[in-house]
Amino acid sequence: MADAVGTTPAGTMMGATAPAATVTWLAQAAVPRDITLAEWFTDPETWTGSNGIVASLGDTLLLVIAVILFSVLVSVPTAALLAHQRRAELASAWVVNIGRAIPTFAIAGLLVPVSLRAGYGFEPWPIFIALTLLTVPPMYLSTYTAVKQVDPAAVNAARAMGFTEREVLLTVELPLALTVIFTGIRVASVQVVATEPIRAFLGGDGLGRYVRDGIGQNNPTLVLGGAILIAVLAGITAVTFVAIEWLAKPPGVRRLAGGRTERTLSARKQLVET
Amino acid sequence: MVLIGPSGCGKTTTLRMINRLIEPTSGRIEIQGEDVTDLPATDLRRGIGYVIQQVGLFPHRTIEANIATVPRTLGWDRSRIRARVEELVEVVGIDREMLARYPDELSGGQQQRVGVARALAADPPVLLMDEPFGAVDPIVRGRLQDELLELQARVHKTIVLVTHDLDEAIKIADKIVLLNVGGALEQYASPDELLREPANAFVESFVGDDRSMRRLTLATVGDLPYERGPVVPIDTPPADARAVLADQRSEWLGVTDGEAFLGWIEGAEVKDGVHLDDLHRFLPAAQVEPSSTLRNAMEVIMNSRTSVAVINDHGRFCGVVTLERIRAGLDSDLSATPEPAG
Amino acid sequence: MVLATGAANPLLRWSYFVEQWDRIEEAIFQHVQLTLLAVAFGFVISAALAFLGMRYRWTITPITLFAAFLYTIPSVAFFGVLVSYLGLTLLTALIPLTAFTILILVTNILDGFSSVPASVREAADGMGLTPAQRLFTVEVPIAVPYIINGLRIATVTTVGLVTVAAIVGYGGLGRLILDGLRRTFWTPLTIGASLSILLALLFDLLFYALGAWLTPWARRRQAP
Repeated sequence: MADAVGTTPAGTMMGATAPAATVTWLAQAAVPRDITLAEWFTDPETWTGSNGIVASLGDTLLLVIAVILFSVLVSVPTAALLAHQRRAELASAWVVNIGRAIPTFAIAGLLVPVSLRAGYGFEPWPIFIALTLLTVPPMYLSTYTAVKQVDPAAVNAARAMGFTEREVLLTVELPLALTVIFTGIRVASVQVVATEPIRAFLGGDGLGRYVRDGIGQNNPTLVLGGAILIAVLAGITAVTFVAIEWLAKPPGVRRLAGGRTERTLSARKQLVET
Repeated sequence: MVLIGPSGCGKTTTLRMINRLIEPTSGRIEIQGEDVTDLPATDLRRGIGYVIQQVGLFPHRTIEANIATVPRTLGWDRSRIRARVEELVEVVGIDREMLARYPDELSGGQQQRVGVARALAADPPVLLMDEPFGAVDPIVRGRLQDELLELQARVHKTIVLVTHDLDEAIKIADKIVLLNVGGALEQYASPDELLREPANAFVESFVGDDRSMRRLTLATVGDLPYERGPVVPIDTPPADARAVLADQRSEWLGVTDGEAFLGWIEGAEVKDGVHLDDLHRFLPAAQVEPSSTLRNAMEVIMNSRTSVAVINDHGRFCGVVTLERIRAGLDSDLSATPEPAG
Repeated sequence: MVLATGAANPLLRWSYFVEQWDRIEEAIFQHVQLTLLAVAFGFVISAALAFLGMRYRWTITPITLFAAFLYTIPSVAFFGVLVSYLGLTLLTALIPLTAFTILILVTNILDGFSSVPASVREAADGMGLTPAQRLFTVEVPIAVPYIINGLRIATVTTVGLVTVAAIVGYGGLGRLILDGLRRTFWTPLTIGASLSILLALLFDLLFYALGAWLTPWARRRQAP
């Protein structure tokens, strides 16, 4: 892991002023640095190998999945429960607000020395914690809002029929809120995938490494290749989640939500507003 | 003038053509002799008051600022605007301390009153109202209708009002315009005339089966010709009293002290030699005031044992009213604007 | 903050802070500058798009989809692609930063204007306000809370993204962070990170206060 920090020639980026660096880069533009993009992608070495795309993809997916799972486990049940009990609304709003404001890169950076001192190395804690901090607020908020805005008539009817509070939550509120909850999970997950590449600049690897190395080596092909990989993964994630979201709707709600109920709309509004 | 009719008759469309929120495609609308299309639309509207059902108060401005909207647009100076606002607040019946509040702090009825004040701010000769009282509860609505009538009596504006409520139309209109689906004009008449002589089958079915009963709300007891009835002063000799009873074919004799009505005496009890004052009197169960509507009077009479109601104006006897008299009243034109229910 | 005495590499060496103050100040300035530029440009573009959306209803969906698409592009990828073509220029940083604000701003502006009740619009027309008067004295003030909210979120998000822009050389305080990471020298890292967090929170508070100040009618919530 320490290698990653060492490979970048110190001062290439930071020391040089922007115009000087541009000149340097332009001076090399006429002669392609290494190989073309197509060549890079079709070279099997690119894919396999210890620094290969497959390995990096694996790294990325591992972290991303871990973050998403953890965040879901932390935020969804808590939010659902609190929303059901109509508690902690103001506190929730503030927590979400603060969480949203904090720059992920900064927090991750701050945690690096802490992690090193504690003997954990550059990875995975700083980036894991920072990404979780990024993901939890929107998931929490969308779940809270979704449960809170479930049709009160349905809830009251359930209560009147003798459902316990737990049953109400699990069999009425959650299924009806599921669409919005999933939307929240989707949005947050795509955000994680989109933000994960900063890990490469924090002493880690993952798919972001190509952009990092490309910039460091003044290799636009590498940078572009890396960027494309990252973007494609984000796109695939988004599409996958949309599919899961669609499948997860209970049939009755599927029809309802297909026509966009008032509540789904306003819940979405609140999501975007955050 | 009240525009009324079933859904799709174009009553709201017609109203909005007056201030050109909808442009007329044919025909002419004139205000005080001038074609409304001669002026630029915005200038026209500043000279016409406009009140809608949901009021549409600007939520981001105080009540005072809301009312002052048109005067400000017209460039009035601040002191004049302020004076006008205070004047209007009193006219429409809002507390002065509401002026500094915001619309969402007021109740529905209060908001509607502010809406009217806002419409009247620049003192336009014409006021347009589109179902202004539809969004409030019936009690408040009745009160607002009464206040509108009082307002009209004070400021004498031409008011064009759209409603779907026939009772409202009958209560407040000078003239009713009844439209049918597609904009066809079915009848243009005063409320009483509309009820008394429906122009065609459509109008007849629109006003409903109880139009006579409705007409009774249009006139008051005081509108009827004075009828003294079988009532004599308390010191009348019994013989004369009996003559009155026979003449009017009444079983009951009413007695007054010259001013106030004292009570009813059973006709059979009236004998020579017995002073009327010594006979047992029944206090009148059925009493009305001159301002009571004929409908009230009928209600009162139905509920009492007699078939006559005594008209009592603050203790002063003003005659009697009978069912016969009420029914006879229906034969005449009852177009007088009713006074607000006491 | 741990000031490890005797350790060669504390989290924060105050002497560095003082000596390098000029550089730090410059970083702060660049950070704020980038943020404000991105939000300003983003706002202009978003206002134009919102206007289009209000005028031609059917454009709202494509606009929203496009903005959402822009937002979903991973920041590192976006910076990366642009640096391949534009090199290490201000534009390389500014374009993605601006693009990321658009979704937030357009959505909030549109929400703001659609929050104006139809009855208010009708009353305004009926009273003889010209379309321009109606727009500026009625619709805009009512939309303001949403716009401010949008600006708030956009600004705070951009502060965070500017730190990432350090990878293409224009990152304000992010450069300190990156520098610290590369040299495993913690002081600039701590300074850069904490200051950017503080900056974000400061902007958040500022816009919150601005919003509260501009909307006195939303503060009064008492029924008569």
